[in-house]
Amino acid sequence: MSIPYEYYIALSGLLMVIGLVGIIIRRNIIAVLISTELMLNAVNIAFVAFDMKLHDVAGQVFVFFILTIAAAEAAIGLGLIMAIYRLRKDVNIDTLTELKL
Amino acid sequence: MELNLNSIAFWSFSSLAVLSALGAIFFRNLVYTVLSLISVLIMISGLFFTLGAELVGALQLLIYAVAIVVFYVLVISTVPQFKGKAIDPKYMLLSIPIGFLIFLELAYVSVYGAWKSNTGIFSPEIVEKIGNAKAVSTMLFTKYLFPFEVASLILLVAMIGAIVIGKKQEQED
Repeated sequence: MSIPYEYYIALSGLLMVIGLVGIIIRRNIIAVLISTELMLNAVNIAFVAFDMKLHDVAGQVFVFFILTIAAAEAAIGLGLIMAIYRLRKDVNIDTLTELKL
Repeated sequence: MELNLNSIAFWSFSSLAVLSALGAIFFRNLVYTVLSLISVLIMISGLFFTLGAELVGALQLLIYAVAIVVFYVLVISTVPQFKGKAIDPKYMLLSIPIGFLIFLELAYVSVYGAWKSNTGIFSPEIVEKIGNAKAVSTMLFTKYLFPFEVASLILLVAMIGAIVIGKKQEQED
C-alpha cells in the first residue's frame, strides 16, 4: 500500500466540503439532496480509510448502514419533493418559506 | 513518489472524483448534475477497491450508482426545472471561506486525532487469509446483528412512507 492514508482522509474532507458548499449555494431541492449524497460518500471514504489504517472492519459495516440510510433518505426525500411539487408547482427553496417566522 | 499501479489508480480516481463533485454542484442543468453524481459514485467505488475493501466497493456500485441514482433520474424526469437562477452568488461568497475553514478543521482532527485510536484484530494478513467479504459479514452478522435488523426495519418504514407521501389524494378535493 503505497498511498498514505492521510491522502484518503484529505480527499474525504474535500468531498465533504464540496457537498456542504453545494447544499448552501444550490436553489433546487433535488440538487440539495444530491449534495447530501456527496457528503454521505465522503463519510464512506473516511470510514474505509480508517478501517484499513486501524486494522478493523467495523467501519465497512457502518458503510453498509450508510448505504441503507441513503436509500431510505432518497425514497422519502424524493417522495416529499413529489408531494411538494404537486401542491406548489415549484421546487425552489427560496419560495418554500411557510416555516419562516 | 514512486509510480506504481496503486498510486496511478488513486490519483486518477481521486482527481476525477473531485472534478465530478465540483461539476455536480456547479452544473445548472439537473441532468448534468445527476450524471456527475454517477461519476463521483463510480470513482469512490474504485477508491474502495484500491483500499482493499471489495465488498463495500461492489455494494457502492450496486446500491448507490444504480438504485439510488435511478430514483433521482425518475424524479427529475417528472418534475420540470424551475425558471430562475440555479446558483445564488451571494451564498457562494459566504460558503466558500466557511467551507475552507471546515476543511482545515476536518483535516486537523482526522490526521492528528484518530491515528491514536486502538487498532483492531483484522490485520492485512488475516483479512487476506479469510477474505474481506467474510471478515465484514462475520462482523455484520455477529456483533452488529441488531443494527442490521433495525436497518431492515428502517427500509420497510421508508418504503411505506414513500408510498403514503407520494400517493395522489383523490377523494378530498
